[in-house]
Amino acid sequence: MILVPVTYKGGIFRHDEIIDLIEDLGGYIIQKHMIAQEVVLQALVPKDDIELIRRVGKPITGDITPSPLVGTEIAVVTPSLEIHHLPHASCDVAEYIRRFGAKTNMVGLARGFGKRISQMNDEERDVINEHDCAVYLLGDFETCIEYKLPALRRGIQVPIVLCGGPSTEALKSLIDPPVDGYVGGIGRFMHRTKESEEIAKLDEVVEEVTRVLDRKREILAKDPLSISPARLMDVISEKIDEIQDVLSPTPITVQMAGLRVKLPYDTFSSRIRATEVDDGITIGELADVLPSRMRDYILLRIKPFSETNQVI
Amino acid sequence: MEAVEYFEVECPEKTGGDYYSRIADVVLLDHNLIRVVSKLHIFIDPRIPLFIAAGVTRKLPGMVLLRDFADVNIQDRKVIISIGDEAYLAPLLKILWEKYGKDLVEQPDRFTILMNLDEAESQSLPDLPVFDPSDTLYKDLIYALQVIQPEGFKVRRQYYGKGRFYLVASENTLPEDIEDLVKEKFSLMGETL
Repeated sequence: MILVPVTYKGGIFRHDEIIDLIEDLGGYIIQKHMIAQEVVLQALVPKDDIELIRRVGKPITGDITPSPLVGTEIAVVTPSLEIHHLPHASCDVAEYIRRFGAKTNMVGLARGFGKRISQMNDEERDVINEHDCAVYLLGDFETCIEYKLPALRRGIQVPIVLCGGPSTEALKSLIDPPVDGYVGGIGRFMHRTKESEEIAKLDEVVEEVTRVLDRKREILAKDPLSISPARLMDVISEKIDEIQDVLSPTPITVQMAGLRVKLPYDTFSSRIRATEVDDGITIGELADVLPSRMRDYILLRIKPFSETNQVI
Repeated sequence: MEAVEYFEVECPEKTGGDYYSRIADVVLLDHNLIRVVSKLHIFIDPRIPLFIAAGVTRKLPGMVLLRDFADVNIQDRKVIISIGDEAYLAPLLKILWEKYGKDLVEQPDRFTILMNLDEAESQSLPDLPVFDPSDTLYKDLIYALQVIQPEGFKVRRQYYGKGRFYLVASENTLPEDIEDLVKEKFSLMGETL
């Protein structure tokens, strides 16, 4: 069964029927927003059943659209988030990528500004490495981007999408060794994106991120995960009751090959490891339960089939 | 930037220069300073790196005196100041408190100040200079230039006064001959520092 990321938008009236339907079909609700009278569901649903959900949702004014980035966590990295340089382009980029279903986190480097003085510390590096992909938003000058990027990408293992003021071609020619994606013409500007050309640029960023993540999915598919992250999320939210008390918008954040569980590591890690998924198989056997560098959260990295020899 | 007589961004990278001319435009507009500046020359060289913004202001409004915003009534030794524009009340009180002491400056309500003064002192009171708008204006201007400059340029030198202003910024120690470079930028605008 192939699960496809989608967004369902509809009225609050009878929306629980849609949730039940998705779950009965074997899909997973990743995130649920209730905004006044509207409900937005980000979900993974079986590819063949999209039409059925659309048919059921139609009488209650619901609409289903594909959202390629649902179930991914993306870091939007910017050299600084200084108050007197607001508004930052990264704010708009992070917000726009969210509309396509991704969970974005802004990473404002403590000392990333400047050219020679630009640097990244180990905490920032580790936090970025906990994501599926990093979108780097640098400035307007080729000289600076060429000089500072090596310092900012040192130790980063996730795919990087580089954005900057110079054209895409110029960025491609500057960076050696190449990064995974480039979007030119979106560097430092001191205003909110409103014009259609600027919105088109944001669309370009989303396209590039989608392309980079699709390639990552293809690589992951060669050695499939022992359990799908969405299913693991379901297991944890069912068996660890305390997760219901977490006030964060996404108490469990789904990534492409793991989860971020927003519970303290010291208290809950051993309980999560011992939690049974199916027939005596525990989460600890299927995934590495690690302390996250983000607050005291727990990071689960799901092991591939080649390591565990089982797929659930 | 139509309101500005002369506006130029000098940069070895054309794309970067174009972005910065837009940034300067947006920032000056946001800070309500576009009508204050008559000439502005921005020089950015990311290779050094160095940022210079030099400019000339239009004629600024003069010093605000007490009689410009308040009525001063003198009866023998008793002086009654009735405030018309509250905007200058705080700096006025500060000056009066410093000059005469808090005990002698009475303020029965928000818009009235009572004092007991000698005749000689009370005669010169209406001409008391209270507020210099150019001072805050130049500070705002320098702040706006700091917003325009590339992020992370922490080594700065600035100057303002006599209708001229400049801000030099870099992440490295500034070169010793930086004033000559600034003078050069002023001469490009047909001005002298």
